[in-house]
Amino acid sequence: MAYPSNSSLSVIFSNLQKASEKQQKPKTAELFGRLAVDFDKGSSEVNDFVGLKDLVSNELSEKYPEVQAAADSVKDRGALRALVWGQKVAAIQKSLIDRYLLKGDELLIGKALFVCEACGFVSLGADVPEICPVCKAPASRFSKV
Amino acid sequence: MYASRNSAKCTKDCLCLFVCPTGATDTETGQIDAERCLDGCRLCVDACPSHAIFLVMSNYSEPAPKNSELAGKLLELCESKYQQEKAAEVIITNAESTPKKKLAEALRRSFRITAEDCAREAGYMLPQSEKVKKLLEKFAGINEDAKSALEGL
Ligand code: SF4
Ligand code: SF4
Repeated sequence: MAYPSNSSLSVIFSNLQKASEKQQKPKTAELFGRLAVDFDKGSSEVNDFVGLKDLVSNELSEKYPEVQAAADSVKDRGALRALVWGQKVAAIQKSLIDRYLLKGDELLIGKALFVCEACGFVSLGADVPEICPVCKAPASRFSKV
Repeated sequence: MYASRNSAKCTKDCLCLFVCPTGATDTETGQIDAERCLDGCRLCVDACPSHAIFLVMSNYSEPAPKNSELAGKLLELCESKYQQEKAAEVIITNAESTPKKKLAEALRRSFRITAEDCAREAGYMLPQSEKVKKLLEKFAGINEDAKSALEGL
């Protein structure tokens, strides 16, 4: 079996932490949580929103089509679902960065940020969305930043 | 099989306390005591007026194997999102204003959630799966938490 690279280990473990919580196994969840921290060793050369926007743009234009083709060819429905959500969320991440680069701190005046814990959708508004426009999760799945 | 309570749906009607033959539903943590649960007799599941209790398998069969090319590409996507998370962290550390910090924080969380979704679809969905066990085995010799997690699965 091919092992995942170091830069996906922390994510794999934090995901397993959440899975264990859902299976109501708090001890296992705690161990995976610690592993997620232990293996969180990454760093970034990119240090501003301009650079981050490029990362997200490139992912959308270069990476996603490749993964999409691979998922289409084997008709993996779970992967196809993740790609639909992921591309919508990435487009929103990019547009938020764009708008911030244009308007600066003013963009957030009178508004709050909410993140959908199910799909990662980021909402900027006065109130929490009633329902997630990407994955249809209810308001209770959103956490306020 | 064992019973599990979704505390977000629990309305504290407490029928489960009175139907459980072992007292497994009566705990200080809000969660049902899986060790005392009678292999999922499901009395509490049927009694709960709020549909807050469900049964969980103790042993899961192996999930269908993922196409390995697709799994590899999903992990690449996961890595790409992890890199974005790291960039967001740098922006948070250097942010000169609260709104900027908040936006970077929202994005940081969003990158992690979408990265986790890629990891799941790459085959790391169920903690009990062979794929996860193999991964833990690799680190069990050098990491105590990996060793304990493996023993617990
Ligand atoms: S019966 Fe259902 S609603 Fe009542 S305490 Fe038990 S889990 Fe909660
Ligand atoms: S399934 Fe049965 S033994 Fe287990 S907690 Fe519910 S009532 Fe108790």
